Amino acid sequence: MGKTLAEKMLATHTEKGKASAGEIVDASIDLLMVHEVLGSRIIPILKEMGVKKIWDPTKVLVVNDHWAPASDTQSAEIHIRNRQFVKEQGITHFCDVNCGICHQVLPEMGLVKPGDLVIGSDSHSTTYGAFNAFSTGLAATDSALILATGKCWFRVPESMKIRIKGQLPEMVMSKDLILKIVSDLGVNGANYRSIEFHGPTVESMSVASRMTMCNMTVEAGAKCGLMMANDAVKEWVTTRNPSAQWTPVAPDKDAHYVADIDIDLDAEPLDPIVALPHSPANGKPVSEVEGLHVDQAFIGSCTNGRLEDLEIAARILKGRKVHQDVRLIITPASQETYVDALRAGYIDTFLSAGAVFTNSTCGACIGGHLGVLGPGEICISSTNRNFRGRMGHPDSKVYLASPATVAATAVKGVITDPRRLI
Amino acid sequence: MMSTSLKPVRGRAWLFGDNVDTDQIIQGRYLTLLDYSEMAKHAFEIPRPEFSRNVRKNDIVVAGNNFGGGSSREEAPRVLSQLGVGCVLAQSFARLFYRNAINIGLPVLMIPNVTHSVNDGMTLDVNIIKSAVIIKETGETLSGQPLSRMVLDILQAGGAVAWFRKVKESRK
Ligand code: SF4
Repeated sequence: MGKTLAEKMLATHTEKGKASAGEIVDASIDLLMVHEVLGSRIIPILKEMGVKKIWDPTKVLVVNDHWAPASDTQSAEIHIRNRQFVKEQGITHFCDVNCGICHQVLPEMGLVKPGDLVIGSDSHSTTYGAFNAFSTGLAATDSALILATGKCWFRVPESMKIRIKGQLPEMVMSKDLILKIVSDLGVNGANYRSIEFHGPTVESMSVASRMTMCNMTVEAGAKCGLMMANDAVKEWVTTRNPSAQWTPVAPDKDAHYVADIDIDLDAEPLDPIVALPHSPANGKPVSEVEGLHVDQAFIGSCTNGRLEDLEIAARILKGRKVHQDVRLIITPASQETYVDALRAGYIDTFLSAGAVFTNSTCGACIGGHLGVLGPGEICISSTNRNFRGRMGHPDSKVYLASPATVAATAVKGVITDPRRLI
Repeated sequence: MMSTSLKPVRGRAWLFGDNVDTDQIIQGRYLTLLDYSEMAKHAFEIPRPEFSRNVRKNDIVVAGNNFGGGSSREEAPRVLSQLGVGCVLAQSFARLFYRNAINIGLPVLMIPNVTHSVNDGMTLDVNIIKSAVIIKETGETLSGQPLSRMVLDILQAGGAVAWFRKVKESRK
C-alpha cells in the first residue's frame, strides 16, 4: 500500500527506512528546538540522567522568547541558565531575547527544509509542516532524551487528508480557514493523527499563511499538519539555506487516509471566523458576534504576527484611530518582521492610530507580559488559544480571530467584520 | 524523579468534565516557578481552586474526553504527581498529556464511560496493570484497554528518565 506524507517522512529517519501508521518507530532527529523549558525543566532532567555532553550541538536551537526580555527575576534566571548551557555545550544556533518567537525564527534561520524531522519543546512545533517537514511538539523529558541520544520514539500517526480549492475572499485569511477546520473537526477531532493539506488553495498560499494553518492543527489535537512544498517554500529554503540539499516529499497516490475532506471555497465562500471563549474549536461566522465590546485587541504570536498579518492590519488602520475604549497591542513574530514592518511604514501607521507596538516575544499570548488581561476583560486576539485564563485573569475572555478582524475591531471598539472597513 | 511502583491505587475520585486543557491544570503564568511544590499550589486553580489544599496522597483524577489538551507543558502531569495524585482516569487523553504523564511516571488509564459511573469523592481501587477500576460505594467494575508493554515498562521504572538509566546500565 502507498505511503502518506507522515509515513514517508518518518521512514527516512529510521534505521530500516520503514514506517507504517500505528507502528512505533525509533527515529533520528534533524533538529531540536528548545525555549525557556530548557532552563526551567530540561537542564535538571539532564543532570538527573547524568548527561554531560549533548548528542550534537549543531542540531539544537535554543530560543529565549516566551518572556523576552525577562519579565521577572524567575524568567531572568531561566534565561541565564539557557545562555550558560549554550556556551558550555557549544550550541551553534542560539536566539537570545532580541530574536523573536521560536516558530518564526527557526524557519528564518533556514533550519527547516523539506523532508526534515524537527521536534520542538512546544506544542506549536507543528508549524514547520508548512515547509514539507515532519514536525511536532514534545515536552521536557522527551527533549532531554533527544538531547542525550538524538533519537526519539514515535507512534506513526494515521493521516487525514484535507483538500482545499477556491479563493479566499478579500479580508478573509488562512486563519479564518483553519479556525473553521478546527471547529468542524473539534478539539480532539484529529487527536494522534497527521493532517495532510492538499489542493490548489494551499498550493498557491504564501509561506506565512501556510504556517498559520499548520500552527493551529494542534488545536484539533493533531500530531502534525503537513503540506507539500510549493514554490514559495522552495524559494524560502533556497534563499535562507543556499547550501542545503533536499528533496520535496510527496505522498503516494494510493496512500491510505482515515478521513478525506473536501473544501470548496468557491462553492461555499468563507466568512471571517471568530472562535468564542473558551475553545479554539468554537468558531462562528463573525456576524454572530458582531457588536460585542472588547477591552483589548492583540495582533501577534507564532500564529499571526508575520509581515502579511501586519500588512493587512496596517491597511485597515491607515488614516484611522483605535477606538478610545480599546487598547490595541501589536507584537511582531520576530525581530526580522519588526525591521521589515518598520521599513514598510507599518509601525508609523500603528503608532499614529494609537496602537502599542512591542518588541517580539510570546508576551500577551501566554498571559506572560506586555498585555496581560485583568478580571472580566475581553480580548480579541490573533493568537491560537482562548482557554480560560490563557491570556491572564481566569475571569477574562478571549475571542480568536484573524489579524484583519482584530484590527477592524480595534477601530470600532466592538467585534467587526473587516470587510466593512475596505 | 518520583518513583511509581505499579501497585494498585486506592483513593478518592476528583471528578472533571470533558476537554480539561493544560491551562486548567496549570496556567501558563506559573511556568516560570522553578520549584514544583510552589507551582503545585496552583494546580486546577481555575476549575477547582480547593484541589491543591484538599487533595490527599493517592487520590485519583477522573475526567471525561480529551483530558490535557493544549500545551506541551510537562508541568501539567508534574503538578498532579507532586501533589500525590495516584493516577488519572479519563475517557480519552490529548496526546501530549498522555505521553508526558507516562514520561514522568504518572499512570494514566483510558476507561470508557468512567464519568458516568463515578461521582466526586467516591473511593476507587485501580489496578494499573489490568486497567481495571472497582468503585467501592457501588461495587461496579470498570475496565479499559491495558497499557502497552512499552508504557508499562516506563511506568514500572518510575518514568522515562529512570527507564533511560536502566537501559543505559544494562548496556554497560
Ligand atoms: S506565541 Fe504563543 S503559542 Fe506561539 S510559541 Fe509563544 S506562547 Fe506559544
